[in-house]
Amino acid sequence: MFYRRAGIRHTTYRQERQLWPLPFDRFLVGLVAVLLIAAPFVVDRLYLVAYLLPWLIWSSAALGLNLLMGGAGQIHLGYGAVMAIGAYTSVHLIRFGTPFELAMLAGGLASAAIGSIFGFAALRVKSLYLAMATIAMQYIVDFVITHVPGISGGGMASVEVPPVRFLGILIEGDLRTYFMALAVCAVVTLFMLNVGRTAFGRALAAVREKDYAAEIIGIDTFKYKLLAFWSSSFIGGVIGCVLVVCYLRSVSPEQFHLDLSVQLLAMVIVGGLGSVLGSFFGAGLILFAPIVFNNLIGAGADRLGISIGADLRAHLPLMLYGALIVAFLVVEPLGLAKIYDNVRNYFLVWPFRHARR
Amino acid sequence: MDYWLLGELAITGALVGAMYGLVALGIVLIYKTSGTANFAQGAIAMMGAYFAWAFSSAIGLSVWVGIPIAVVVMFGFGILVERTMLRRMIGQPVIMVIMLTFGLELLLRGAVPGFLGSAVKRLSLGIPQAPVFLGEMLINRAYLVGGGVSALLIVAAIVLFNSRLGIMMRAVSDDQTASWSVGIRVERAIAIAWGLSAVAATFAGVLWGSMQGVDWSLSLLLMKALAIAILGGLDSIPGVLVAGEIVGICESLSTGVLDPIIGGGTRDIVASVIIVVTLLIRPYGLFGHEQIERV
Amino acid sequence: MSRGRRGAIKPVTTREDDMRLTRRSFVATTAATALTGLRFSMRSAVAADDKVIKFGMPQDFTKIYTFVTAEYSQGARDYFSLVNGRGGVNGYKIDAEVSDHANDLPRAIEAYERLKREGMVLIDPLSTPVARALVSRALEDKINLGTAFSGRSDAADGSVFPYVMPLSPNYWTQAGLIVDFFRQQDKDLTGKKVVLVNIDTPFGKEPIPIFQALAQKLGYSFENFPYTPPGNDQSAIWPQVRRAKPDWVVFWGAGVGQTTALSEAIRNGIPMDRMSSSVWLSESDMDVVGKDAAKGVLKFEPCASGRSPKVVADIIKEVAGKGQGAGPEGKIGTAYYNYGVMMAAIMVEGVRVAFQKNPNGPITGPWLNDGLTAITDFTAEGLLPAMTVTKEDHQGGGKGRIARWDGTKFVPQTDWFSANQDVVWTEIKKSAEAFKAAGK
Repeated sequence: MFYRRAGIRHTTYRQERQLWPLPFDRFLVGLVAVLLIAAPFVVDRLYLVAYLLPWLIWSSAALGLNLLMGGAGQIHLGYGAVMAIGAYTSVHLIRFGTPFELAMLAGGLASAAIGSIFGFAALRVKSLYLAMATIAMQYIVDFVITHVPGISGGGMASVEVPPVRFLGILIEGDLRTYFMALAVCAVVTLFMLNVGRTAFGRALAAVREKDYAAEIIGIDTFKYKLLAFWSSSFIGGVIGCVLVVCYLRSVSPEQFHLDLSVQLLAMVIVGGLGSVLGSFFGAGLILFAPIVFNNLIGAGADRLGISIGADLRAHLPLMLYGALIVAFLVVEPLGLAKIYDNVRNYFLVWPFRHARR
Repeated sequence: MDYWLLGELAITGALVGAMYGLVALGIVLIYKTSGTANFAQGAIAMMGAYFAWAFSSAIGLSVWVGIPIAVVVMFGFGILVERTMLRRMIGQPVIMVIMLTFGLELLLRGAVPGFLGSAVKRLSLGIPQAPVFLGEMLINRAYLVGGGVSALLIVAAIVLFNSRLGIMMRAVSDDQTASWSVGIRVERAIAIAWGLSAVAATFAGVLWGSMQGVDWSLSLLLMKALAIAILGGLDSIPGVLVAGEIVGICESLSTGVLDPIIGGGTRDIVASVIIVVTLLIRPYGLFGHEQIERV
Repeated sequence: MSRGRRGAIKPVTTREDDMRLTRRSFVATTAATALTGLRFSMRSAVAADDKVIKFGMPQDFTKIYTFVTAEYSQGARDYFSLVNGRGGVNGYKIDAEVSDHANDLPRAIEAYERLKREGMVLIDPLSTPVARALVSRALEDKINLGTAFSGRSDAADGSVFPYVMPLSPNYWTQAGLIVDFFRQQDKDLTGKKVVLVNIDTPFGKEPIPIFQALAQKLGYSFENFPYTPPGNDQSAIWPQVRRAKPDWVVFWGAGVGQTTALSEAIRNGIPMDRMSSSVWLSESDMDVVGKDAAKGVLKFEPCASGRSPKVVADIIKEVAGKGQGAGPEGKIGTAYYNYGVMMAAIMVEGVRVAFQKNPNGPITGPWLNDGLTAITDFTAEGLLPAMTVTKEDHQGGGKGRIARWDGTKFVPQTDWFSANQDVVWTEIKKSAEAFKAAGK
């Protein structure tokens, strides 16, 4: 009743093309924004540091990958390497005394530069072969980082992040790191929401659908594929920097292996290709499912007194997590965003069952 | 230049490459018939090795009884996977299926060590320790057996594809709709392909498991296998054999020649570099067929 | 319309309807599970008068450290059960919270924050990447971070890492000790050749500076052959090792890297009694390689092995005997099990000394830290070499011994000794200085 499409009329093109034409949608977005900003003062510290903060960071990374996969239709299984490049570049620059703002951007630029080299492979091959090419490049970047002591930090292979200042404010402690991550996430989200409405976004969509057809109508696929890799890698580099400064506080090569790339891929796909909201949902699911399963099984074993072998108890969360991914893909291939969409459509016509179109 | 060392490394590399090729065989079989890449192949190899151990050492039977039982069980498992999971994903973009196989890999990596125990297990094939000497080169007997068996199985697969069943599968890989229209049961062919690839994975798992012990790390065979499959051409079985040899020999030689210069770890990089170079020069692999897209 | 088997026309539900039904119930179940699961994370902090000391042990059971974690955790938990069964320490029971972080940093950090909220005073992640990620948090929150044999080798320097407690000989000490054993066996290492076959990760590369420094000092030539992780394919390494004609071979890997290294070495004809490993070699590895085939191989032992040390015998009698063991009885007394018992014993000794120093002190991280850094001459009734931890030396003295596999068990070849600590501490200081300079 209050969530309806009926009765909402626009009088200008500008009004019609806004991101959220329905007032209730705007209310929801505002509510979420207020909740996120108020979170540090309302929720327990555990939830802030262990749940919200990584969720924001991983969602931003998923958004960056979604630009490439959902927007331009290119498969990228090496996003972890892209984030690694950004993280290492920015941390080394910070240690040399560069201001944090510049280091963050420099990390993004370095990632973008090397990421677009990955993109050259995309010009030759598609889908599965592109996936393999990006995996190969992930391994190559891993190798370079581990074998150049100057990058990886020598014997201990762990580079500590010195305290940084953003616009004069010292970024440390739970509150400020959270707001830093929230700010970056907000910027990336705004970008992703609007990119589909720009000429760049439309060109990417054309390339995604059928690139030779796009070529025929005059879109330079060479340029746009490379640009897609460039911008997606830039976002990845910046997020890599935020990840190590706000959350991990030290960089080491093991954090950016193929596992991270596959995790981000899972977030994007389970969330829904091309959907901004889907990236957030997917990130939440993939990040928290193992933790939730772990706690559930632990509590269940305690309360119900079921004793299962230590091996099985340790492996059950992994098993359930894999089964969850498989089940989601089989049941709803379009991802969590589609499920949200179905729910939203249901409420849009409620209390009726359907609306005549 | 120590030629004996290079020769030894080359021969060992060729044998090890054949063993990796056995895992790649499964990937190629599946890609040929259903057009999807199976990123769970390593986990299936691990599962096969675990079952071989479970059906032999765990219940006290000889390993030569346990392995055939495991092979049959894994064939059934392959068909089961195809029927429950892959059939629902027909028509979905390839990235979805890739993700599904990643999920399957996690599921297997959790379920198999969870139920069968995560400690490393012994799976002995009774291969004697004494090496075979060719001049000054020492050939590891375990690799000789492993490489020989793998090469034999790959050749068997090539022969199979010339039989009636093989022609049916080739037809399915060529054009599914046309196969349906002439009465070939496409689902059956795909199911058999999955079953056969699980069997190949089991053999590979048993061979590798006998050398390093059976545990979760067998699932890491996947990456090398993918490199070989890409190099040889994802839809070519003879390509698997050739590519396996190339990758195996290159890796082995690089460990001997480049490692002292660079300081280690060039083995994995060689596989990655080979993939990148192949994809830039000959995207469909050495023996693969070009896929033509139409507007 | 679809025709049923006898030609009757059945009403049809479209596939979409079926899917939606399944979809709906599936999504509903998932949401319900998620909410219940999140609620279970909200366990309230333990009340202060609960007379419990909490240790957090989130470890990697399913990813890279699978080969050691199950047995290590079993050993630690059995020791805690033993202590609790005897009434605890000063009436306080030890509560060890075990869970799986699968070497995944968000999970590990979540476990750390959750356990911190529940009042834990010590955390033992048994994983190098996780320990490194938690170092800055532990130092800030003043919670003791136990890094048994893993983590940062330079954390032995307590002045730079006040809350990081290795409490065990680090990799540099192990390397120094192994080289000294070689020297003892050969009387003089000048002109000999020592080869290191290591996994090509930071863990594997860690002892290299020590080996090189000692090569300068003792006059042997050193060569190293790294293999790619995880180490299941070392086919190209051992022919090169064979050609190098080493006098001594040290193999530095973990899990599958160790078993493959031994199998390859045997097949390449390298004599087993000239090969030594770090701490990461156990009876199950020997089982996989072949108990008789690997006879003679050496390893570094930080604590006594087998079921004869008094503590282990007590556990068999009082814990496993009453059916309260945390795992299969057959694993009691294996190498990794005893490592778990060793670390648990040191932690409990830390608690005991803390009570001695501050009997009424509130149970906090700094309180336990005072106790841990004051442990003197602790041997856990014969399980360990006499260990003394101070505020500057968190390693505990760096003593160990070399043991040899005789076909059925590991037999110690020397007494507890410590060697080359001067070289080791130079490295520790160098690395700790770099950390201090970079950080604050």
